[in-house]
Amino acid sequence: MVAPNRLKKSFKEWKLYGFVLPSLAMVMVFAYFPALSAVYHSFFEWNGGDLQQFVGGANFLRAWRDPVLWQSFGTVFALMIFNFFKMMPSILLAVLIHRLRSDRWQYIYRVLLVIPMVVPQLVTLFIWKFFFDPNLGVLNRVLDIIGGKTALVWLDHVFHWNVFFTGVPIGWLAQPELILPALFIWGFPWIGAVGVLIYLAGLQSIGHEVYEAAELEGIGPFGKFFYIELPLILTQIRLTLALLIIGTLQGYGLQLLLLDTNGGPGGRGMVPGLWMYNRAFLAGEFGYACAVGMVLFVFILVLTSLNNRFVRAER
Amino acid sequence: MKSAVFSIRGRRDWPKHLIILAFLSIELFPLYMMFQVSFKDNATFIRNPWLPTNPTFWHWENWVFAVKLILPYIANTIFVAVTGTAATLAFAVCASYFFARRRMPLSGLLWYAFLVLMLLPSVANIVPLFTLLRELSLLNTLSALIIVSVAGGQVFNIFVLRGFIEDLPKDLFEAAEIDGAGHLQQVLHVVLPQCAPILGTLGILAFLGIWNDFLLPLIVLRDKQLFTLGVGLVYLDGEYVKQWGQIMASYFLAAVPLIILFLFSMRLFVRGLSQGAIKG
Repeated sequence: MVAPNRLKKSFKEWKLYGFVLPSLAMVMVFAYFPALSAVYHSFFEWNGGDLQQFVGGANFLRAWRDPVLWQSFGTVFALMIFNFFKMMPSILLAVLIHRLRSDRWQYIYRVLLVIPMVVPQLVTLFIWKFFFDPNLGVLNRVLDIIGGKTALVWLDHVFHWNVFFTGVPIGWLAQPELILPALFIWGFPWIGAVGVLIYLAGLQSIGHEVYEAAELEGIGPFGKFFYIELPLILTQIRLTLALLIIGTLQGYGLQLLLLDTNGGPGGRGMVPGLWMYNRAFLAGEFGYACAVGMVLFVFILVLTSLNNRFVRAER
Repeated sequence: MKSAVFSIRGRRDWPKHLIILAFLSIELFPLYMMFQVSFKDNATFIRNPWLPTNPTFWHWENWVFAVKLILPYIANTIFVAVTGTAATLAFAVCASYFFARRRMPLSGLLWYAFLVLMLLPSVANIVPLFTLLRELSLLNTLSALIIVSVAGGQVFNIFVLRGFIEDLPKDLFEAAEIDGAGHLQQVLHVVLPQCAPILGTLGILAFLGIWNDFLLPLIVLRDKQLFTLGVGLVYLDGEYVKQWGQIMASYFLAAVPLIILFLFSMRLFVRGLSQGAIKG
């Protein structure tokens, strides 16, 4: 009597596999297959269609000798390092909001911080592109009003940059030398706002008694920041930084839309992801694009594992 | 005495408020510009870029232009985002039920098969994905966008949902089983109601992800009547002669559905965005 029951039960359990099957099938076809296909095709000369020829490591050799790829890695590393500075205002803002005594104001600021995120990222991007416009752009007008233009021209005289001149509007996205600065300026508000919410979540766990103890010891506001707040949100900061870095390394939408597929004048804004996109969809060199993707993948893997080790060692 | 302390503390907060407001005004400045420029024509904007004009001189035709241009794109995007989000969550709930409910042969292996995907950067496989979609003749269809976003959303959602389903009290499932409920009924009547808040948060994240996506539609879509907001706005940006008022009104309209979503689910939104940023 037991056996049929168990059989019935195990049959019922086998049906459980049906629950994982749709997800598994989707992931196999649309994530695993393209990934494996990318690895495979990085060893081929491939135009994306029928023309396929095994070329061994030629694509990787070409990547090694490709000056554009090297330059694009330089650009993306500069952007990654700059993430570190982009985080600072949001840390400051989170600590300031956290230190407010009124809960109501804390809530109001939190809601106000979410509002810019309701706007689609693409729209934020285009508005910034509009701000960068040499003649109509808001950035140049603000610089004119606060005298920043004069200061830049003066600095140009002193350091011989040959970038800023009186009477010539600053072409933020049109002058090769200004592409990197423009990319640095861009995007501060959005990244800042998400970061603030994450840091606030971390700061919330600090008890009042910690602050009171600090006050009894006579520790000032700066001391509190360095001895209490900063150490306690270090996990969040590290996490955000890791996400920002990996996001920067992978990203190319920003550069594609601000600077077009060639990475702007002189290709100064070229990043590896964009170079891959450019090779595949403009030059039809799908095989080489796959190889560039592989190089990028290895970089991301190394950074992720370094980050994991770093985070673990700190715990 | 107490009030004196309070007022000193209150006064000490003023510099903080000022700094916070300065940062917030930088944050909100693009929104302000977008809104007020949307009512101007180019000549007015050049004469007076900063301040809104008198409402009697507002150029409502900018908004008429934007509605005509953007509304079909919004309809397409809503279709993709709603179907994509629903399918993502439906698949993910089922799969995480499988992982959370019982230890089955192979379940460990399958779990790692999903986890490994977290390491896989999407940037590397966009090229083969494109040729795969072409071979399945899914290029220039909205289904391609839905399918790819559903596949891409599985790992993160399963990862989060598994934890939530495992934390549900076992008695609930046992009681349902005694009542003769099959697995599908347990998912429908136990998992869905119990996990409603987290499903809401994950749903908003998935929806936002699809709404913000423009690279995939840019590669996949060709026909104008299939455009989602992303591609539509990219092509609008590429136009040579620019009427900034019209463009800004279109940008604003692109955000309106998200604003409505935000108004109805502010709490889930705030939580979702901070969790979404944490996702690994």
